[in-house]
Amino acid sequence: MKKYLCLGCGFSYDEALGLPEHGVAAGTRWADIPGDWVCPDCGTPKAGFEMVEIPYYSEARPA
Amino acid sequence: MSVRFILRAGERGYSYLPAAGLNASYVAGHPDGVITRHSSFNFHEYQSGIPGLGVMKVFGDEVFTPNGTGYNMHPHHNFIIMAFVASGALTHINTIGKIDELLADDYYVFSAGSGGKHSELNIGKEDMQAIYVWALPGQLLAPPSYRRGHFDRAAGANRITCLVGDEPGALPIGQTFKVSRLLSDADGHHVYRSSKAHGVYAFVLEGDVVIAEATLTRRDSIALEGEDKVEIKVRTDGTDLLLVETRL
Repeated sequence: MKKYLCLGCGFSYDEALGLPEHGVAAGTRWADIPGDWVCPDCGTPKAGFEMVEIPYYSEARPA
Repeated sequence: MSVRFILRAGERGYSYLPAAGLNASYVAGHPDGVITRHSSFNFHEYQSGIPGLGVMKVFGDEVFTPNGTGYNMHPHHNFIIMAFVASGALTHINTIGKIDELLADDYYVFSAGSGGKHSELNIGKEDMQAIYVWALPGQLLAPPSYRRGHFDRAAGANRITCLVGDEPGALPIGQTFKVSRLLSDADGHHVYRSSKAHGVYAFVLEGDVVIAEATLTRRDSIALEGEDKVEIKVRTDGTDLLLVETRL
């Protein structure tokens, strides 16, 4: 399961979580999202997203 | 040391964004207002060119004309957005609840984190010039934050001053990332200490410098990697240089 970041605004898509509020079920692979899908916040095309390996703040453990 | 790229002023991406017409909802201000933006980095189908350096994705050299020109309130997540004001007055408004005015040598760090909106406006009577830098965060969906800093010209003259990063007096951003400034009014030689594992991007705001045997003039820039120091020869009076260090 991977995460993708919109380079237009920073909106993040997480395959594990999907975007149920936008009709994308949890577990939906990035490759299975239609090519004409755009960032729900800023309209950047799907191709303007980049795969990132950045942990969530909520996952960070205290040092 | 290896040079990753040299980017001359005129080779940068260019956007001309009038406040009227198709951009009217995005660009604020009087219908005659305009934002001009020279972009060092370009990504995907937005533009073609250099995709950034390390965690730095945007380095924009922007001018907002007066009478309210700027960006209307718009959303972000995650990105750490920085503005370094060179001249004029920038009004920054964000959904953390901050309304701020930044003048020359002021800068801010807005970490959009779990979500925030901001507006950037020039409500003054002169052009506003600023450098906008975006960095990827160290963590996703962190609590949004806003902090401001100021570069002190007297204390910072003829030395390299860290503005953003984990250094005393600088604004930390929770990322392996630093922005420093060298403002010089004399010929001289300066050394920027970095990590060999990092990349360094040097952008000439004003003046004339030599880095890695390349002569760089106003708005030229260079990216280096694989060295623990960057030697900077300042060749004319009034040199103003921004240095960005990022993990690669």
